[in-house]
Amino acid sequence: MSLNVKPVVSALRHNRAGAMLVALEIAIALAVMVNAAWIVAQRVHAIETPTGIDYHNMFAIGIAGVTGDFNPSAAEQADLAYVRSLPGVVSASVASGVPLAAHGQGDFFWKSPEQRGAMINPRTMQMDENGLKTLGAHIVAGRDFTAADIVPYFNDYSRLAHEALITQSLARKLFPGGDALGKALYTGSDNLVTIIGITNDFMGSVVRADPSYDTLVFPQTPGTDGFYYILVRTRPGKTQALMQAVVDHIAPSSLDRVITFAHPFDYFKQRLDAENRNVVIFLTTITALVLAVACLGIFGLTTFNVSARTKQIGTMRAIGARRRDVVAHFMIENAIVLIAGVLVGCTLALGAAYWLTAQYQLPRLDLVYLAVGVIGVAIVGQLAAWQPARRAASVPPSVATRTV
Amino acid sequence: MRIGYYLRLALKSLARTPGLTALMMCAIGFGIAACIVMLTIYHAMSGNPIWWKNNVLYAVTMDTWAPRAPFDSDRPALPPPQLTYRDASYLFQSAIPQRKVMMYPIKGVLSGAPGQRHPAPVLTRATTADFFAMFDVSFEYGGAWDAAADRGPDPVVVISHEENERLFGGADSVGHTILWNGHPFRIVGVMGGWWPKPRFYDVINGAFDKPEDVYVPFGWGPALQQLPVGMVACWGDTSHDTYAGFLGGECSWIQMWVELPNAASRDRMLALMNAYAVSQRKSGRFRRPLDNRLTRVSQWLAEQGVVTNDSRLLLRLAFAFLAVSLINTAGILLAKFLRAAPTAGVRRALGATRAQIFLQYLIEVAALSLAGSGLGLALGALGLRAMHWLYAINTVDNSGYQELTHFDPAGLAWALALAFLSTFAAGLYPAWRIGRLPPATYLKSQ
Repeated sequence: MSLNVKPVVSALRHNRAGAMLVALEIAIALAVMVNAAWIVAQRVHAIETPTGIDYHNMFAIGIAGVTGDFNPSAAEQADLAYVRSLPGVVSASVASGVPLAAHGQGDFFWKSPEQRGAMINPRTMQMDENGLKTLGAHIVAGRDFTAADIVPYFNDYSRLAHEALITQSLARKLFPGGDALGKALYTGSDNLVTIIGITNDFMGSVVRADPSYDTLVFPQTPGTDGFYYILVRTRPGKTQALMQAVVDHIAPSSLDRVITFAHPFDYFKQRLDAENRNVVIFLTTITALVLAVACLGIFGLTTFNVSARTKQIGTMRAIGARRRDVVAHFMIENAIVLIAGVLVGCTLALGAAYWLTAQYQLPRLDLVYLAVGVIGVAIVGQLAAWQPARRAASVPPSVATRTV
Repeated sequence: MRIGYYLRLALKSLARTPGLTALMMCAIGFGIAACIVMLTIYHAMSGNPIWWKNNVLYAVTMDTWAPRAPFDSDRPALPPPQLTYRDASYLFQSAIPQRKVMMYPIKGVLSGAPGQRHPAPVLTRATTADFFAMFDVSFEYGGAWDAAADRGPDPVVVISHEENERLFGGADSVGHTILWNGHPFRIVGVMGGWWPKPRFYDVINGAFDKPEDVYVPFGWGPALQQLPVGMVACWGDTSHDTYAGFLGGECSWIQMWVELPNAASRDRMLALMNAYAVSQRKSGRFRRPLDNRLTRVSQWLAEQGVVTNDSRLLLRLAFAFLAVSLINTAGILLAKFLRAAPTAGVRRALGATRAQIFLQYLIEVAALSLAGSGLGLALGALGLRAMHWLYAINTVDNSGYQELTHFDPAGLAWALALAFLSTFAAGLYPAWRIGRLPPATYLKSQ
């Protein structure tokens, strides 16, 4: 088989502009696809990051008192007693925030009472002794709250709890030596909090930023300003029915409080992922379309080259070129365009990746993505030229003797 | 008519290769559609809904944050976006601004309206009298409360058009008394439909959320000892043990805007803020470098990151995709035109000028552009429906993200222009190339 590149090159020079346009198209397409795939990978990772919470089997109900005189303590106990009496409820707790949702708060802490050194800003929650069990989280060191630890809500603004649970991640961040248990954190010069237990990682509320594992739990029943949340974990498949039952029970039961919302945790998780999911959908669509359009470009170019050179192909065949030589001619021609496009494309892709890292703090592009992109474009690009090249091979030698 | 003849030739040429024409149209159509979707969303996000007052409305901020770390480590150059109660209260006394407002979102429960059996939670904003005039809020019935009601605070309330529909079926409810958080309040005004996008006056608590349904005088929070429900950021030795401690502490939670009609008043206001901050330093406050600001609406929206990075990124990718589509079109058209070179050669030999050949092929390009643009618009509208649907699934409550996906008529005009011009530009080179070909070369083999 004669793989003579020289006639291919001279044929290419014939439609230089066309070949350059296709090469450029492939270059941009490669840059777009590689970086889009990289962004999609980050977003999918974010969506799949474990929440640490049994969110498929949980729901939350928000309660607000109507007047300022409303003291939630009694209402909380009544609500919890009702919820716990329902068959299918695994555990229930009142809380001052809802993990994964935009209901909650963060606090600033320092490791020293003088507020020196790094200030940390975890999401904080007040929960009772059933809190961890309700979330599906557990203690990994130290101890959980007991009923005796729980500071009941008083109708003022004090946060009287001076003990707390923190997650593993937060413990590592605060005390890299691994000795977080028993240490103190400070919110002001005289306000200290002792770490009595460390839990597995679970996500807190969405406050200003995406949720992280930096979560801290106080043993206190909530109620500031008459707000509290009931968190409930149920047996699988019971969430929706039980949530409805609790809403139907609470809504008409009193005129001194209202339900502000009731949602299964799947809803909060879906909402949390909304932006990422939209980006994934949009970018996947764009990537597929870019690839399709680039293939179309290759297909179009080869098709027109073949039909424009029907006579020349006939001549080639007449002077002894075999069918497969004709196919090889067009495939090599396409390969040259592809290689040029891919080379420029790699530069473009790396440039775009660098810019994305600088501008949007995207992690640096994993070169595996570039390699896969290059190989993918090469294969798909050659496949796109295959059909027209085959058509070229079927041109009979007799065409050479005809005038068109 | 020559143009008509060229048009017929163009359509004939496009019809000769129907598959390829369809493929080119699809490529262009999808490229345009992606751009239309992202541009529409970006345009809606980046709008300034009160542009006519951009030079007189200012957000007031002061850097009262902890001495050792900036308020927001991601944006260390910015002071906290809200003020503390004591700083806002002091600045509010100033007579320099023509209008001024301080405010915060607060918990609200409405009851006692005719026919209302159960109390209902309602989004409420505690604000001052100038809010409505300053932000050009229109009224359906009644109007704002006066400044004296702020001082009371008087039990007066302004409700939104929607709330009035819900409670009173749209009837004039001014003068009615309803219970807000269990206390009787007199309705003084019903707003017209008002939804600035983005919600510039409070982008911190949801830039695209609906405005609140109920507005009460600022002082009701402290009067009822209620905490704000929006962002509250505290630092320092703040004792939260009492409501007074919260009010007096280093907690920033009050949004403040002033209307300053000219540069002189602006300078005077800034001087007042700086003098105040310096005097406060004597009592150990304002320990960070002096950073008091009056920020215009447009700059405020930019600084607070109302346009998300995601939408910026997606917009750029959409344009890259359009570029691929257009280059693709240019390449295919070039190949197609060059193949028709012998025909063009005959025409040249028969006396057609270069310009005429150029025009002939340009008309083919224009026809393709028009078809591609039409398809692009249709696909873009479909894409926006899809985004609307996605947002509907993913966000509920009062989030206004869905509202971003509406195709506005002004947007239609520039989308059409973008679609047509970009495709036309892509075809310009191929048409020019064919027009310049020497006829002789292509006549030889005939």
